[in-house]
Amino acid sequence: MARKWIVAAGALGLLAVTGCGAADMTKQSSPYANVRGAKSVTLSVQSWVGARANAAVATYLLEHELGYRVDTVQVDEVPAWDALSQGRVDAILEDWGHQDQEKRYVEDKKTIAPGGELGVTGHIGWFVPKYFADAHPDVLDWRNLNKYASQLRTPESGGKGQLLDGSPSYVTNDKALVKNLGLDYQVVFAGSEAAQITQIKQFAKDRKPFLTYWYEPQWLFNEVPMVEVKLPEHTSACEEKGTADPSTVDCAYPTTSLKKYLNAEFTHKGGKAARFLADFNWTKRDQNEVAQLIAEDKLSADEAAKRWVKEHPDVWKRWIP
Amino acid sequence: MSITTTPADTAVSAPPAAPAGGDTAPVRQDERLRALTRNPAARKLLVLAVAAAVLVPVAAATWGSGSWPHALTVDLSGPLGRANDWIIDNRDSHWLFLYFFGYISGGIIAAVHAVYTVLLALGWAGVAAGATLLAWRVAGVRVAVTTLVSFAVCGLLGMWVPTMRTLALMVVAVAASVAVGALLGLAAGLSDRTFRALRPVLDTMQALPAFAYLMPVVLIFGIGVAPAVLATVVYAAPPMARLTALGLRSTDKGVLEAVESLGATGRQRLLTARLPLARRELLLGVNQTIMMALSMAVIASVIGADGLGDRVYQALSTVDVGSALAAGIPIVLLAVVMDRTTAAAGAAGDSGRRTGGRTAWLFVAGATAAVALAGRALSALDWPGGWNVAIAGPVNDAKDWMVDHLYSGLPGVGGTADWAAHYTGWVLDPLRDGLQALPWWGALLLVAALAWLIGTWRTALTAVLALAAIGVLGRWDTSLDTLSQVLAAVAVTLVLGFAIAVPAARSARAERLLRPVLDVCQTMPQFVYLIPVVALFGVGRAPAAAAAIVYALPAVVRITSQGLRQADPAALESARSLGATSGQQLRQVQFPLARPELLLAVNQAVVLVLSVVIIGGLVGGGALGYEVVFGLAQGDLATGLVAGAAIVCLGLMLDRVTQPTKGGARDGS
Amino acid sequence: MNGTDGAGAPGSPAEIVGDGPVRGAAPAADGSVPDGPPAVFSVRNLWKVFGPKAERVPGSSLADLTPEELRERANCTVAVRDVSFDVRQGEVFVVMGLSGSGKSTLVRCLTRLIEPTSGTIAIDGEDVCGMDSGALRDLRRHRAAMVFQHFGLLPHRTVLDNVAYGLEIQGVGRAERRAKAGEMVEKVGLAGLEGRRPTQLSGGQQQRVGLARALAADPEVLLFDEPFSALDPLIRRDMQEEVVRLHHDEGRTMVFITHDLSEALRVGDRIALMRGGRVVQCGTPEEIVGSPADDYVRDFVRDVPREQVLTVRRAMRAALPGEEDAGPALTPATTVADAIETVARTGSAARVVDDGRCLGIVDHRSLLGVVAGLDSDGKAAA
Repeated sequence: MARKWIVAAGALGLLAVTGCGAADMTKQSSPYANVRGAKSVTLSVQSWVGARANAAVATYLLEHELGYRVDTVQVDEVPAWDALSQGRVDAILEDWGHQDQEKRYVEDKKTIAPGGELGVTGHIGWFVPKYFADAHPDVLDWRNLNKYASQLRTPESGGKGQLLDGSPSYVTNDKALVKNLGLDYQVVFAGSEAAQITQIKQFAKDRKPFLTYWYEPQWLFNEVPMVEVKLPEHTSACEEKGTADPSTVDCAYPTTSLKKYLNAEFTHKGGKAARFLADFNWTKRDQNEVAQLIAEDKLSADEAAKRWVKEHPDVWKRWIP
Repeated sequence: MSITTTPADTAVSAPPAAPAGGDTAPVRQDERLRALTRNPAARKLLVLAVAAAVLVPVAAATWGSGSWPHALTVDLSGPLGRANDWIIDNRDSHWLFLYFFGYISGGIIAAVHAVYTVLLALGWAGVAAGATLLAWRVAGVRVAVTTLVSFAVCGLLGMWVPTMRTLALMVVAVAASVAVGALLGLAAGLSDRTFRALRPVLDTMQALPAFAYLMPVVLIFGIGVAPAVLATVVYAAPPMARLTALGLRSTDKGVLEAVESLGATGRQRLLTARLPLARRELLLGVNQTIMMALSMAVIASVIGADGLGDRVYQALSTVDVGSALAAGIPIVLLAVVMDRTTAAAGAAGDSGRRTGGRTAWLFVAGATAAVALAGRALSALDWPGGWNVAIAGPVNDAKDWMVDHLYSGLPGVGGTADWAAHYTGWVLDPLRDGLQALPWWGALLLVAALAWLIGTWRTALTAVLALAAIGVLGRWDTSLDTLSQVLAAVAVTLVLGFAIAVPAARSARAERLLRPVLDVCQTMPQFVYLIPVVALFGVGRAPAAAAAIVYALPAVVRITSQGLRQADPAALESARSLGATSGQQLRQVQFPLARPELLLAVNQAVVLVLSVVIIGGLVGGGALGYEVVFGLAQGDLATGLVAGAAIVCLGLMLDRVTQPTKGGARDGS
Repeated sequence: MNGTDGAGAPGSPAEIVGDGPVRGAAPAADGSVPDGPPAVFSVRNLWKVFGPKAERVPGSSLADLTPEELRERANCTVAVRDVSFDVRQGEVFVVMGLSGSGKSTLVRCLTRLIEPTSGTIAIDGEDVCGMDSGALRDLRRHRAAMVFQHFGLLPHRTVLDNVAYGLEIQGVGRAERRAKAGEMVEKVGLAGLEGRRPTQLSGGQQQRVGLARALAADPEVLLFDEPFSALDPLIRRDMQEEVVRLHHDEGRTMVFITHDLSEALRVGDRIALMRGGRVVQCGTPEEIVGSPADDYVRDFVRDVPREQVLTVRRAMRAALPGEEDAGPALTPATTVADAIETVARTGSAARVVDDGRCLGIVDHRSLLGVVAGLDSDGKAAA
């Protein structure tokens, strides 16, 4: 008896499923979007604070100037591309260059459209605190790093010097670099940017030396001044080699112009919001100002954006369609 | 390597030497052998030793004796990477996605959307009123007040919208988990064969860290709410299934016989007797499902579940402990409210108090609707922003103060930085190096011996196979790194846990004081305290261990003190009458009597510590946890999935090695 | 002293039941009920063996092994061993034995709550073992209801709903079944407690609920499985009287399982005494007490107050001339205890009179002989 019911229910369910045609999950947006009929935009926010500054200002302006409802979702970089292509987020405002993803989604599948430049240039490198560089100026050349390895030792680095790396989502060749440049260092992954920042600040408070993977623009420089260690110069030959086999990289990181990407459908149907996001463009100084308000002064994203918007109408007026 | 290999080598190879040396004194040797075979533990070891004597030289000669031999590994990253690419390329075209996964995903999104819309339509006043009235009907005035206060606090902290999103996700996830779990439990409860097949699977699933569940759903569904709900369902359904099956199977045989003697059909028996009689277990299942779903809903923010978890996760990225706490408190409150309500519903059935009454329910519905309409009429659906209380600032100040004073300042005992350095240098490193220096077959033998001594040959086999699978997956050294972190943290947890549990078991007052602290520690999302822990202990394995200890300690304290308190009063009394000191009572009566609970505490400590050590990948714990985080962050699912599989194997191995033979002992936790 | 009365006396149990020692189920062996009403349950050569491949045991050489040997050889346990008996309409048939004697298994076999291994069971001539599940359900719903030692009440239902449960299963409408259940609750003396839950009742009250539930279906036979064993002695006494009263009022056929001899003697019309799965003796209380079939039964009934069970039939001697008309008259069913009272009060011997015919005489001496246990056959006297 019971079995009959189960079979019947199963058949009905199957009918219901197949009878209604296909369900393309790449076209399913967030369940929280468009509730109560509001026009809504979903922005991807990466975990680092620069990206949050972009999103904060964009959110503020979309809500207060253009009347949208904005959702932000924190997703890591590569998954964010996937989410963007599926329309679960409408825009990524700061991308540090993902060639594979760009080829797959922008060129092949055409589900993502480029959204122009953010106006900020990004650079990755190795940094030491300024107080350490001042005391030992020669640490700024990678050839001298081994000399300081013993000073940069920590419990985690196991007898070698510690090179502090951050979130696994970041672009990094550090393990290859350490090996190929013959450095007596151990790459220690902090696992998240938050952990890395906390550790850097703790070092700075005790004025201990450290060597860390870091990037510009970043608000932390205002609080903990750091100086970049010069690595072998970045060349196109080195880049080609690195693209073919990442473990052979032996030169510095490139300087990247940060880009925005929009969901392809959103660029057509997104109306003013899409145009606004495409025109969104500001400088490193602007971004750092907001980022510091958020991360250091602990203002809410909304409050930080409000302050910046109030002081720089000349910048954002250009973006409003 | 050479230093640590020697003792391990002798330890393993000593037993097989015993029978070989027998010819010098055959008689005595024979007697001793017979004595050995009489002792079951010794017999098991002897069998293992003989097996080892035969197999080890062969294995060592073929593949060497160091770390796991490369010849025995299988590299899955190629096929997994291709599978990942294929899925992404075909997700919008292949029938499997269009007609199957697409519907699952679409159904989940539609359901969450519907619940969320209803919650928003009710407005904050409607939701608060509805929840309060519901709690009042089900669990009485006290819980109702708790509910009202909790919702008010969620609003005051400025977390109303995220709370509603989490609630919407939870409603759908819990409903699905309960439905799936109940169906599985029904099947297992009614059929012995299904029960036997399902039980080890469910037991194992409960021992696995939540993080391990994220990768497979992301592989198929990408990032978003739908995969988050699915991961939650997979994580939260097993306790429902277990308890449903147990409830159905433990129905009073006498009652069932009576029902059968009255001529009930199978369906009547199920509906009128077995299910109502299993009510307590069913509600306990719902209760546990809710708690697990809530903890998973937070972790799932890593794969795009919105809501409170996402707020915690975002606050984490700006090292904003205050904001993380502001989002963490509503999670704890939701957990408390749901726990108390479902627990009261379960207890109500026993005391015979009726929770229903159609008019009462109508009243609840009517009053909720009235409040919601009133809110709508006053156009006060959104939580008024002016009421918000900002706690982030003061909390951050407090945290900074604490870190400043604990980091290096304490005279005599050193600061947390020193502790972290010592813990890493003196405990973790030697342990890790020691484990990694063990010859691979030695590790397998060790695990086999441990698991067999505690359990049966089946558990031993499972444990050995799980460990071997780790080697085959090519994650041998990484897993042993994780294992060393788990073992060290478990040891600290147990020492602290027993030290706290003993006084707690003796004084009801201490127990009462401790209870809310334990509740909070257990339900507070680990993300919230990961960052202050980093500030105190620096990046690395030490903060992961600290977080793991905080998380696992409550369960250990609770189980241990309960076990100690349940010790037979008659036995205690007789010990006292013989003049035993309280120390003697503890050592000679309470601890031996509480042995099953102590074993359970060890098992739980291992399971819980493992789950946090994995999350510790976010704060520099490295090893398997880092690989999962890396896989998620880089979209490199091959790395993530293999690491996830290794975590599963490690969890399985640890669970089997520490699991007392009686599997049923874990039901209560 | 012992020669005059005893074995040869007319109307002795041996004569009623048949010749020789009253072993097993002698009256049932030929499948007939000698006199009286027809059989409701008729059980023949019933076996119940627990264990793997149980069906090979009955009738084979395995059956002759001791329980230990059988367990070792075939991993089987015999619970019911070749049992035959009839339960007559309107009687209270008691199955008595110590724990492990197979009596509870036996009663469960009657409605196939436990599937018998071999043998036949008939209810009103209809084969129970051959019934399909529908017919069997019908049997359990309407014809045989059971009362259990541990009550088997549903803790989540009220008293009234528990009593109505059997009717609910039969598909009786809500109003009708509640009315009927209310009636039953009143009948067992629980009026006013309809809204309580079983856990709020005492053990005796709970068993009354169990009884009411069984009665509600108005079954042909009531099966009691040690219904009062879990109760306090005083309450047990009450409940036994309740059963006797019910039987007296309604004349319903009952099968009653107990390990308590005094209970068996109090409620039973006939008693089957079981040991090791076998029926050792089957007969009226007077036969069991007065003429134990073997040493086991004798041992069992040793402490029974014989004067309460045995009747004057057993104590009387032939009337001497002149005695047939004098002295107080007693019916043959009068217990020895009552006869002693009469004789003591009048100071003279009493006549046993049936239908105006004097069957014999009881006097001080013959009555005392019964009390002292000197009445039965030579073995007992020796």
